Order: sequence, then C-alpha cells, then structure tokens
Amino acid sequence: MSYALQTLWHDKARYAAGVGAVAFSAILIVLQVGLLLGLFETTSVPVDHTSADLWVGSQDVRSVDLGVQIPINQHMPRLTEKKGLIGQPEVYLAMYANLTRSDGGMERCFVLGSSLEPDAAGAPDVLPDELRGALSLPNSIVVDESELGRLHLKGLGDTAKISGIEVTLVGTVKGMKSLAAPWVLCSETTARKLLAGFIQPDHCTYLLARAESPQRAKEIVAELRAEYPEMSVYTTDEFSFSCRWYWLTRTKAGIAIGYAALLGLMVGAVITAQTLYAATMASAKEFATLLALGIPRRKIYGLVIAQSWWVGVFGVFAAMPVVWMLAQAAAAGGAKVVLRWEVMTGAAAITIGTALFSGLFALRSVRKIEPMSLLR
Amino acid sequence: MSVVRPTPVLAAQRLSKSFGDGASRRFALRDVSMTLYSGQLALLMGPSGSGKSTLLAVLSGLLKPESGSVFVTEDGIQTDLWQLSDGQMEKFRLRHTGFIFQGYNLFPALSAIQQLEIVLKWGTGLGDSAANGRAKDMLNRLGLDAQKYKKPAQLSGGEKQRVAIGRALVKDPTFIFADEPTSALDWENGQRVVELLRAAAHARGASIFVVSHDERMRPFADIIYHLDDGHLTVEQNPVPLSAAGPSYPSEVTR
Repeated sequence: MSYALQTLWHDKARYAAGVGAVAFSAILIVLQVGLLLGLFETTSVPVDHTSADLWVGSQDVRSVDLGVQIPINQHMPRLTEKKGLIGQPEVYLAMYANLTRSDGGMERCFVLGSSLEPDAAGAPDVLPDELRGALSLPNSIVVDESELGRLHLKGLGDTAKISGIEVTLVGTVKGMKSLAAPWVLCSETTARKLLAGFIQPDHCTYLLARAESPQRAKEIVAELRAEYPEMSVYTTDEFSFSCRWYWLTRTKAGIAIGYAALLGLMVGAVITAQTLYAATMASAKEFATLLALGIPRRKIYGLVIAQSWWVGVFGVFAAMPVVWMLAQAAAAGGAKVVLRWEVMTGAAAITIGTALFSGLFALRSVRKIEPMSLLR
Repeated sequence: MSVVRPTPVLAAQRLSKSFGDGASRRFALRDVSMTLYSGQLALLMGPSGSGKSTLLAVLSGLLKPESGSVFVTEDGIQTDLWQLSDGQMEKFRLRHTGFIFQGYNLFPALSAIQQLEIVLKWGTGLGDSAANGRAKDMLNRLGLDAQKYKKPAQLSGGEKQRVAIGRALVKDPTFIFADEPTSALDWENGQRVVELLRAAAHARGASIFVVSHDERMRPFADIIYHLDDGHLTVEQNPVPLSAAGPSYPSEVTR
C-alpha cells in the first residue's frame, strides 16, 4: 500500500470530510444532469414513440411541437419518388389547441393525430390494439394517466372540449408525459376536426415514412435536404435529439444546471482543499524532519497530490450507491433521472480532477513547512 | 571494533547570529568558532535561550548565520556550507546529515520500518527490497526487531526515540545533530539513547553533535562545549578515542 493510501486509511475520520465533499459534488452533477436529461426527454416523446424512420416538416423546424402546416400534395411526391421506402408515407398532424375543462377552465394541449392501422408508422407504440380501436371512434382521445388531474378528467368516458368540440376520454397510457401542454392522442380524422382552424384540409404538420434500413434512411435524408432546402428532413433519432437540444438551449436550463454543478464543485473543492491542508499541517513536524534529512520537498508534494487523488477516487465510489438510490427515489416520485455512462464518467473525471486541483491548493501548506521550526 | 582516528570534519569560524531589531536585538551567537571531529560525540550545554539550538541549526545547514563560515571537509576537500545553493544544500543534508529532535516526529500511519524506508526510498532512491533490508538491519541493531511492524502509537517513548535514531542513522550520515534527544525520556531510556549515539560515533566514524542541558550526559561526551549568551567555551579538550572509557553497545557496530 502506498504511503498516501496508508495515511488516508489510518486517519479516516480526518479525510472523511474531503471524501464526503467530493461525493457531494459527484452526486450533484450526476443527478442534476440526469434530471435535466430526463426532463428534456419529454420534449421528444411523440417522436420517440413512433416507428417511423423519417420525418418531413416545415422549413427550419427544430422541435416536434414547433411544426407549421405543409402542403401534402407538394411534399408527398418528393418522398414517394425515393427508392428504399417501405409502404406509403403517412400524414401526421401535430398542433397546439385549447382544451376547455369540465369546470370551464382552459388548458393548452398538444393534439397528435396519426393513422391507427396496426403497422402505422405514426401510431404511438404505447397504444395497445384495443385503444387504437377505441380511438377510431369519432372525437375520442387518449392522454397520459398523469395528466388526468390537470385536465379535470376523472376516468374513461369523461368529456372535455378541444377547440370547442366535445371529446371523450377512451383510455390512458403511461410514458407520454409532457413538459408543458399535455399530449392528446387521437386518430388523424379526429385531429383534423380539432385542428381545423390551424391546419387546412390538404395540409399536415409532418410526413412520416419508414425506410428499408437505417443507412438508407440517412441517405434519403441527405438527398432530400440537398434537393429541397425549404423543408426540414430528419431521421427519427436526429429529430428526437433536435427537440431535446432545442429546448435545452432555448430555455438555458443547461446553463442553470451548469452553475449549480459549478457551485457544487466549488464547495467540494474548498472542503477537500481545507481537509488536505489541515491533514498536511497536522503532519508538518514529520514532513519538517524529512526536509531536515534532505528529502526533496517535491516528494512531499507528490504525497499530498497522491492523497488528493485517493480522496477523489473514494469520493466517486462513495457517490455511486447514493446516486443510484436517489435516482430510484426520484423515479418513485415521478421524476426521471437519466444515468448515462457518458455523464457518470464525465462527472467522475471532473470531481477527481477537482480533488487533484484541491491537492495543488493544499501544497501551499507544504511550502510553509521549515525544518527550523523543529528547533524553536 | 575498528578504530577511527578523530579528524576534523567541520569547522565553524566566527559565527554570529542575532534576532530582533534595534533595542530588542538579541545575539544568539557571538563570534563562535568550533570544530567537530569524526568519531566523536560533542555535547553542547547551556541554559535555555542561550543559543544552543541556533548553533545546531547553523552548523547543520538549516539556518544561515549573519556572518562567519562553516567549512565541511570531505575527502580532503573543504566546502563552505553557506556558500552552497539551496539545491546543493539539500543534497548536502541528504548525503551527510541525520537529525534527532526533541519530539520523535514519526508518521502516525507508518510502521517503524516504514519510517526508515521512506528516508531511503525518497532520499536515496533505493528500491523497495534494498530499502527494506537496510531498514530491517538498522532496527535490528537498535534492538527493535520485534517492534519493526508496530506503529508509533504501539511503541513506548524510548522505542519511538530509537526509531527516530534509526531514521537519522539509516542513510549512514557523516554528521548527526541531536536536539535534546533525551528530554522526553526517563534516564534509563535516555541513557540507552546516548549510548547508541556514542556507539554510532565511535563505530561509524560519524560526528555527533548533541544539544542538551541534561548534566547526566556529561560522561558520554568526548568534548563538551558550553554556550552562554551567545559565547562559546570548551570545557574539555577532545580525547583520543582509545582513551574513551566504557564499552559500547555492540548492536550499533557495523
């Protein structure tokens, strides 16, 4: 065992503060970023739950909820002339509308209308066959079960009005939570009625298609982008990422999280530096003896840096189970924490780096040590 | 036991050092000149605050004097210690000096053998097994074989001071500077420590400089200096090694 590790182990209580501070920083970063990613996953929910490979929308559309209507007759042939598509491209309607609750209050909602055929590209995968059947009834809707309270819907058969038209709740699903306006799932026919004021009969919001292979989908996207710059074309993955990235950057939430994480790192760094500083000063006489014996000061610097490295490593390991438990607790409370390995590795690297930086800061204590002090 | 002839190895000339300014200026050393010989234990006595520790610090390269020189002779070559650069001074101390302080200053987390190994590995760059061998050998000779894997908290005061002596001796220094090495020990342990130091001087040809105000150390010294108010006087002239009386513990003999 190295001298640094041995000292740490021997004086566990002293170094615990530093280890705790590093763990605190790591937990803060991973949970904040995880919550943020979880939060912004909801912005691409409609895209993520379809089985389409390609999305075609209005010019420069960045997020699924920002599409404006496009002429079907003009855009459809551009898709159908491409080789490598499976089946016919589908019409997809997506637009904000006003929902009048049973108590007369108003809510914004986001209507998603698609084909409900068993192999439809646009039908959300969370809809089981019986709900697809139920949705084929005129003016029927499905919402995520978490939205019922907000929309004042008590259960199946309950009604509300969207754009002044009475709609009936025929079912609920899980996994279609929204960030702002609730997603309202319905058939293309129902959506046409509910969105008649916003989308002309020969228009739609998106055209969806399936491709023979992901590779072919990418090729078609590239071709269409080059040929028709006045429309947006995405693969499903690209569009999903675009939705999240748009809202992440648009809301500056990333910056807020960044500041919070920075604050956590600073608190961690200060406590770690203080711990290492105090620990080094506590061994000042021993170090002074080594210096008197002619041991180069850099050897002692090395020991302090090695200690800071171990404080960082132990902190990261201490953080792991806590992150996992807190993520589970958040999930139980309805908040998704996305624990991506990139984020975890990054957080580990940043916090260990911060601990090392704190070690550099603590070196000033070593600079103060003079063998002469032992003779006074 | 081989006989080492006392030869002058360190000569201090007209050292002066003061602390404070103006009216509060106090001289710790006034025109102090002295010589240290190889194979001898020199004892420096004097009342508290008489400048004993200052003289030790100046002779050992820890504190620069205001005036005067410290000449060190090695292989017939004389070096003015205080003309060395910081780096050269560090190298000089690494190669030639061992220190024993009033406190034991042992790392609480490290075992007795590791306290010695760290000096060899960090100072002289010895590998793990070589450092371990030398440290073990030294602790053996100090009668600490059974204590070598114990940490300071498990050792008695006398044992801790012997580990500290081992740390000072393990790199085989030319000079060993000891500041009140027995002050924290009862006389039985204190006597053992002094005997070990004296044996190290006589057997290894090292020059030992001990600062103490413990009168019981007098019989163990080859030469006794007295410092009072910065003035140095010699009480007893260097005696030839052959005339040195009592026998020495064999464990420190190389």
